[in-house]
Amino acid sequence: MGTPTSTTLPTLLALSVAITGTLVTIGLAVVYLRRVRLDRPAIGTFNGVDIVVVFGFIVALPLLYLVLPLTPLLVVLGLTFTSALVLGLRPLIGPGATWIVVGTVIAANVWMGRTMLGTVVGWQLFWIENDVLVVCAAVTTANLYVQGGMRLRHVAWFGLVLAVYDAVFTFVWPVTNTLAQRFIGWPFDPSVGFRVGIYNATIGLGDLLIYGLFVIAALKAYGPRAARGAAVIAVLCGAVVPALLPVLTDVFIDARTDVIVPAQAAFGPAAFFYYRWLLRTYGAERTMAGFLASADVDRPLPMPEPTPEPTPATAPAQPLVGSVP
Amino acid sequence: MFETGVRQLRMALSMTWGRPFSTDSLTRLVADAVATIAEFGELGLEAREVIETPFADAADRADHADRSLRRTAQRLAERSPFYAERFAASGFQVRTADATTLLDLPVTTKQDLMSRPRDFVCHGSRPHLATRTTGTTGRALEIWLSRYELEVAAALGALSAVLHDELHADDLMQVHVSSRATAAVQLASMTCRLVGARCRVLGIIAVEDALDALAGSATTMSVNASYLAELVVSARRRGLGPADFRLRRIDCVSEILSPAVREAAEQTFGAPVSDNFGMTEVIPVTGTSCSAGHLHHDLTMGHVEVLLLRSGAPAAPGELGSLVVTPYFPYRECMPVLRYDSRDVVRQLPGPVECEQAGIPATSAVLGKAGQLIEVAPDQVVTPRELVEAVEDLPSRPWPARFHAEPDGGRLRIDLPAGAVAGLSSAALTDHFAGRGLDARVRVLDDHEAPSLRRVRSDLRELSFAAPEPVGA
Repeated sequence: MGTPTSTTLPTLLALSVAITGTLVTIGLAVVYLRRVRLDRPAIGTFNGVDIVVVFGFIVALPLLYLVLPLTPLLVVLGLTFTSALVLGLRPLIGPGATWIVVGTVIAANVWMGRTMLGTVVGWQLFWIENDVLVVCAAVTTANLYVQGGMRLRHVAWFGLVLAVYDAVFTFVWPVTNTLAQRFIGWPFDPSVGFRVGIYNATIGLGDLLIYGLFVIAALKAYGPRAARGAAVIAVLCGAVVPALLPVLTDVFIDARTDVIVPAQAAFGPAAFFYYRWLLRTYGAERTMAGFLASADVDRPLPMPEPTPEPTPATAPAQPLVGSVP
Repeated sequence: MFETGVRQLRMALSMTWGRPFSTDSLTRLVADAVATIAEFGELGLEAREVIETPFADAADRADHADRSLRRTAQRLAERSPFYAERFAASGFQVRTADATTLLDLPVTTKQDLMSRPRDFVCHGSRPHLATRTTGTTGRALEIWLSRYELEVAAALGALSAVLHDELHADDLMQVHVSSRATAAVQLASMTCRLVGARCRVLGIIAVEDALDALAGSATTMSVNASYLAELVVSARRRGLGPADFRLRRIDCVSEILSPAVREAAEQTFGAPVSDNFGMTEVIPVTGTSCSAGHLHHDLTMGHVEVLLLRSGAPAAPGELGSLVVTPYFPYRECMPVLRYDSRDVVRQLPGPVECEQAGIPATSAVLGKAGQLIEVAPDQVVTPRELVEAVEDLPSRPWPARFHAEPDGGRLRIDLPAGAVAGLSSAALTDHFAGRGLDARVRVLDDHEAPSLRRVRSDLRELSFAAPEPVGA
């Protein structure tokens, strides 16, 4: 183990956490997309306006996190994670078991975050538990969007905008740095992380979400080969490059000697150009219906039988021509 | 997806609180539904509930009707000269209006509309399109609709069609209704435009031309029953069958559709035929038939009563009555009617039904116009539907039915053209009608008299220079 002044250990730790977090997230997201169907609204599909809305939340939420007192902030985060876990687990294990599992995971996170952070081992256990929570949230949310109709085009543009956002909010207005400091050591830290010695290394939930989105949107749009390319870009540009950059330059080290790398700045442009290449090479993206009809979908897990329709008690359909001569 | 949720909420609020719809929002909601199908191949679960009000509970139904009637009556009292006068004359209190107090108000008749059409136009509304009845039962009646009304009716119709899988973006709808029925034609084309489908409005043209257009191209057809009958006859004469058509549904509007014609149409064109109720005066309130032949009424957009033909009292189970319809605001706003007496006769069902639409109040199918009922004996009435069904079930398949019937000494006398009874003896004819509950004596007329025996909508031929076709051919 290196000394506190060495860059080797923190770099290796950051690299390990980023690569592991990315690979686990995109791997589980792919498996989930191929095997599990999430409920979707009766009418509606993901479109450009939704990207704007999601981006609005991404801009607004960190600012909200900064101004909210800690307790309400943790409540908001807890509710967010609970919702994501419930949505993701319910199709897998049914509603009853879901609430038991989610309750246990959430309670354990709170308990561990409040009682186990006095030792390195305690930190490590907390991180493992928190990582499960965050990865599940990223996998569920990515699937919710893509199974809701989000296209690779949306993800690519989203990544490009996030690249600018991430750079600005790291270097110009260092909100990201402040947030990272605020969350660490509390329950519901929205990061996948681990601790070795005095070093904590993390990769944000937002980063993992966009990597997961990118890979499964590529799978849906163009199949496994495109998804493998997307995974390589996610790991290289989203995990490896951001983890190694601090070795080359100290521009990412802030006044507290924390290393904050705007990972999207490297990932966003690469993802966008890859999307453009796919579009030019393979043409239009597949729809969700096209994906589901393809051999890229595994046999879905058995879903609970829908409740039989009761005797219809709703108004009849309108005739297509609503009037007569 | 986020926008779609907001649009659904806006529509639900308008339906619940009776606020005017945002037509732009409704239009975009249709586009959302089409986009959803394009992306997923189908809509999500419970999609139909988006536009339908749950009416499982009778108390909910009554509450919805009372609130909607009160809202509609209040607006009419403020803006409709005819109803302001009528309410005052009847002492009708709009603030306490409900389905019960409504019974004290006289029905609105066609004569009211014909004699004072301007007084029905509400202050502040902007008439946009005039639409006329065909006048098959008398003088044509003109109804003005606002642009808002058309857009709301088209958007809700399109949404309903998409949600019920009745119209797809790749459909081609062929429309055979009279071009005078501008609202029907306009709504059909607007509906198709919203869904992205193609629309071919042909009207009541030469049947051979219609068949040529239909074969191998149209996927849905909107048609009057009599014209459908002519299409079937012509298609069979040409030896055409299901393989020659791409139709996947046929929507029959107005007129009496007999089981014989319906079955033949389904066999010939290879598509199910739906039999719907609609009426220019009460747009957009409609009714749809179920597999058991009941007519289920649209409770979301209007109030439907069945009143005894003579006394005007509510008809009891098993009794004949006239359909009296009140379209609600905000679905109608320009020239609305309250308690419009359609004179379309139905029979109240004797008890609860067990069809696929059992939760929705229903009556029998429309049995004909009140003025065409034939009282054979003091307690025995023959309806036009009984006659049409019996005639169209003759072995000669005389479609559409051309006949004249009147009481004749306690029996029924039916005049039929010779072609309709070809090959049948007098006794066989008597047996045929007796088997259908009609004690009838048949008088045979020359075939050339057929068109004058019974007017049907397919008589309203729209001729061309290229292929003039005699009316009733």
